[in-house]
Amino acid sequence: MSDDGLSKEYGQHLVEEVLKGRMTRRQLIVRASVFGLSASAIGSLLASCGTSSSSSSASPAAAVGTPKPGGTVTVGAAVPLTALDPITMYDTGGIVTVDAICEYLAWVENDLTLRPVLAESWSPDATAKVWTFKLRQGVTFHDGSPFTADDVVATFERLLNPKSGSSALSALKGILSPGGTVKVDDHTVAFHLDVPFADFPYLVSSGNYNSVILPKNYSGNFIKTPYGTGPFMLTKYVSQQSATLKKNPNYWQKGLPYLDGVIFKYSNDQQGQVLALQAGTIDIQAQTVYAGSQALFSDPNLDVLVFPSTGFRELAMRVDKPPFTDKRVRQAIAYSIDRPGLLKALFNGKGQLGNDEMFAPLYPLQPSPEPPQRAQDYAKAKALLAQAGHPNGIDITVTTEQYLEVPQYATLLQAMCKPAGINVKIQLMSYNNWYSGPNGSTPWLDAPMGFTDWAPRAVPEQFMLPMLTSNGIWNSSHWKNPEFDKLVAQYDASLDETVRRQIAGKIAALQQDETPVIVAYWIAQLRAISKKVHNVGGNGSIYLDLTRTYIS
Amino acid sequence: MLRLIVRRLLLMIPTLLAVSVLVFGLSEILPGDVGRTILGPYATPEQVKLLDHQLGADRPLVQRYVTWLEHFVTGNWGTSQVLQEDVFSLVMGRLGNSLLLAAIALIIIVPTSIILGVVAGVRQDGIVDRTITVVTLSLTVIPEFVSGAILLVLLAVAVHVFPVTAAAPPGASFGTRIYYLILPSIPLMFIELGYIARMARAGTVEALAMPYVRTAILKGLPKSRVILRHVLRNAMVPTVTVIGAQVGWLVGGLVVVETLFSYPGLGSLMVQAAIGHDVLVLEASVMVFAFLYMLSNLTADVAVAALSPRARRGG
Repeated sequence: MSDDGLSKEYGQHLVEEVLKGRMTRRQLIVRASVFGLSASAIGSLLASCGTSSSSSSASPAAAVGTPKPGGTVTVGAAVPLTALDPITMYDTGGIVTVDAICEYLAWVENDLTLRPVLAESWSPDATAKVWTFKLRQGVTFHDGSPFTADDVVATFERLLNPKSGSSALSALKGILSPGGTVKVDDHTVAFHLDVPFADFPYLVSSGNYNSVILPKNYSGNFIKTPYGTGPFMLTKYVSQQSATLKKNPNYWQKGLPYLDGVIFKYSNDQQGQVLALQAGTIDIQAQTVYAGSQALFSDPNLDVLVFPSTGFRELAMRVDKPPFTDKRVRQAIAYSIDRPGLLKALFNGKGQLGNDEMFAPLYPLQPSPEPPQRAQDYAKAKALLAQAGHPNGIDITVTTEQYLEVPQYATLLQAMCKPAGINVKIQLMSYNNWYSGPNGSTPWLDAPMGFTDWAPRAVPEQFMLPMLTSNGIWNSSHWKNPEFDKLVAQYDASLDETVRRQIAGKIAALQQDETPVIVAYWIAQLRAISKKVHNVGGNGSIYLDLTRTYIS
Repeated sequence: MLRLIVRRLLLMIPTLLAVSVLVFGLSEILPGDVGRTILGPYATPEQVKLLDHQLGADRPLVQRYVTWLEHFVTGNWGTSQVLQEDVFSLVMGRLGNSLLLAAIALIIIVPTSIILGVVAGVRQDGIVDRTITVVTLSLTVIPEFVSGAILLVLLAVAVHVFPVTAAAPPGASFGTRIYYLILPSIPLMFIELGYIARMARAGTVEALAMPYVRTAILKGLPKSRVILRHVLRNAMVPTVTVIGAQVGWLVGGLVVVETLFSYPGLGSLMVQAAIGHDVLVLEASVMVFAFLYMLSNLTADVAVAALSPRARRGG
């Protein structure tokens, strides 16, 4: 097929990039996985790059010791706020539970490599507008029905129907529309996109967490018909308390899963979860937050996995509200922040520095050239304020949600801004109020200046499109810049890595200069696990793959 | 006596109605809505509006209240919009858990605090009295999340005497369930000990000063008998009232302890329902809670009447 030819051609292009020193071997692996190149194909590409350091990081979940089948692990997770429903789920408790029962076309690994799951391979057409996915054969749902192209079509049509209320709709908005998912044959599906989109496979992977494949005749009530294709089957679900899962005997990966079962225990008390880990009542904490977890780091029976992630806190400034209408004011605030100081104070240094643009260090594709790292510079901040007509300083109000470390961040921001003549008043809001105010209002999109927590995303477009483009649905800063919109569209459409990096360079420089939002740090995600449990990935602390997990 | 009980029971109806109106009104003031809870922050406003419409959450308040009341009094408590579960069985299941925890806590609290109170009262101003008073009052001021966490670290993590959670595994025997509830009951005992022992002490001191007690002692009755027959009975009157008032809190107000010990009780269900705008669950659990609260107060009043003839006539 000519599409496969394109993937091969793309592979050769990646090899050239590595040979010219514009890309590292690790980046090649990640990018090749997006274009559906198989592990063996990636292996031969690496071979043609030369023999230096042949140990690849292609499988971060590499086995430690010999896996032993049997046993049950207990996972502690936050209480799902709503009924367990793959289509509308949005919290960690719901997502990690569904991830054990259902599967995606592809899975995003810790280093953002895509691992084929229900899709065997995929490839784009020459314009990246039509993506053809070959599906795995011989897979059955837990109710015994076979997995075919019809299920994939039904799944995406369901997500794209506004009535189903899925967040996946906003992730796919403007990229995939109803009717765009087409069955080619029983085991092949073609996605016809609205626009060219080079990173499309991420949008049908675990990176778009609602896109688990459900049977075409899905009842709409997951508790009654909890049928996925995954390694475990739901046997008992008690709202807000627990989920009990047992091994799927007909799982398509022979010999897997190793575990006989999994129990999810839901609790909203971080302290209680920490104590339960120490007492051995739970083996894995799906999402460990830094504050209050210090005891875990020194516990000899526990490992705390620390993973860089693409999660961050957005500090948005309404560019249509004075004094933020002047970009020099926004820049002055950005120059007042001591970023390494923030990381040190909030996370004891764990995490990575932000640079007011969206290309997190974890992303394999980095801007070229990279914009200079922003650092605290009071002289510059004062000069910018004076130029903007505020020689005696300004008073601003920042609204912060009551969520993890964000209020402390606000307090530090207040202290850091003071020497520059910026007096920050802090307004505190509950997490619920912030996202959903009275009479359907949305304070997080309306406040003149405020913090918003963004969960990790597999590709930077998933931040840029909703958060920064003119038609973005979560544009808290109300920044509208046609040049930026155009660059992002070019970035999405390009299949050439060199060109993409150059566009990324322009995007990053433009965003940093305009500073509609401040990205001071990228969060390190933590996941605490018992030392007797092996093969548990980090996966942004939101997803959890227990297929290869075993107990020693 | 019977008239008193019937009258009090009838009075509960307007009170419950007032409570239900209040809860409906207040849940309206709370920011956010049920559609947003179900779909999460990343759903578009249009999707939320569509779902709210499907659920009928956009109908006028009065209309929704009347529909709810009709269904509720006819025993149709409905299905939770957020959890997609039958409200009646959800609330009753949680209530059963809460009652069990409250019962265990009361079994530990009541005898301990009455004995301590009476002993302190009998030894008024002595070293025993002072010790009991200082210790019980100090324990009372420790918030339950502090004492609970310390107990967990000491007795569940450092030494594995008790489990770290209050919820026994599914299918556990009754004895196991009780064993799991002992540790969470201790912080509750700490809180209650001060109040109840203090009341029992005051009642004892007061009763001891009564002429009939002096007569009984002068008559040559053994001191233990005087305390058991005369003092204790009178000391119990204020104590029972206090216990009655605390039962309501023990059944529905244990949000902190329920969360800390991940125990599925009525309190945490109410909080989750209020946060998530799950009005059917919120209303049902508040009604059950209010009813129990009034019932425990009534029971306390009846008990007081049985103990003291004066209160019987006054009713």
